[in-house]
Amino acid sequence: MKQVEIKLNISAVAPLLDVIKQAADDLRGTLAIAATFPEEDADFTETWTQELMAAQNSDVRELLGLFDSDFFADGAISIDSNNCESLLRGCAAVRIRILARWLQEVPAEIIEDEDASISDIAEELRLPFAAYTFLDQVQKIILEHLNPAVAE
Amino acid sequence: MGAESTPREKPTPVTAPSPQQAELWRVVVLNDPVNRMSYVVMVLRRVLGFEEARARQHMLEVHESGRSIVWTGTREQAEAHMFALQQWHLTAVIQPNEG
Repeated sequence: MKQVEIKLNISAVAPLLDVIKQAADDLRGTLAIAATFPEEDADFTETWTQELMAAQNSDVRELLGLFDSDFFADGAISIDSNNCESLLRGCAAVRIRILARWLQEVPAEIIEDEDASISDIAEELRLPFAAYTFLDQVQKIILEHLNPAVAE
Repeated sequence: MGAESTPREKPTPVTAPSPQQAELWRVVVLNDPVNRMSYVVMVLRRVLGFEEARARQHMLEVHESGRSIVWTGTREQAEAHMFALQQWHLTAVIQPNEG
């Protein structure tokens, strides 16, 4: 994958980062999706969980790292072959957490509708919904650059 | 040959599972409400080495039926695939390949 630089509107993205950081904080101590284990052995499941947690934390850190001081200087995020997989997983983890924490009451047809209007969402949920949609779009851009034939 | 012979009954064939069959496990991916379809396709390609068409077929099965058996083989390898799929935040379980 070639390096892709995405220019974002800082004032539009900054409020979303508060939601993303809150979700990221939650994920420090919990898996985005509760793992199922192949064995009922306490040591085995603990090791399994710790390894998933370590990988998840690394991915989420990579995602948060996109929005560092450089981002607030020029509004650009840079994606390349070194960080794209980690960013895809980080976006997935944070989106799952946002859904679980804020958007449980929003009907699935709205959640799954890429063109859903923000006015369909209760006012207090608009920011989490916008953050959820924003990360979906970041994933979409990465996936399109990984595989230009991708079309949904 | 003067001895009278009694026709022997043909033994009923018994199909015991071979050791290999008995040890097969399947990896099942379950539907989730978050991950976009192209993401699931990409993960199946990366983790299981599927071609685009096969990955898309499994993704659609997950989407429409709620689950898809994406791999069958040894337990050890099934666990490794399950772990990798969970790292990508897909819901995956392994089951003995019965029935």
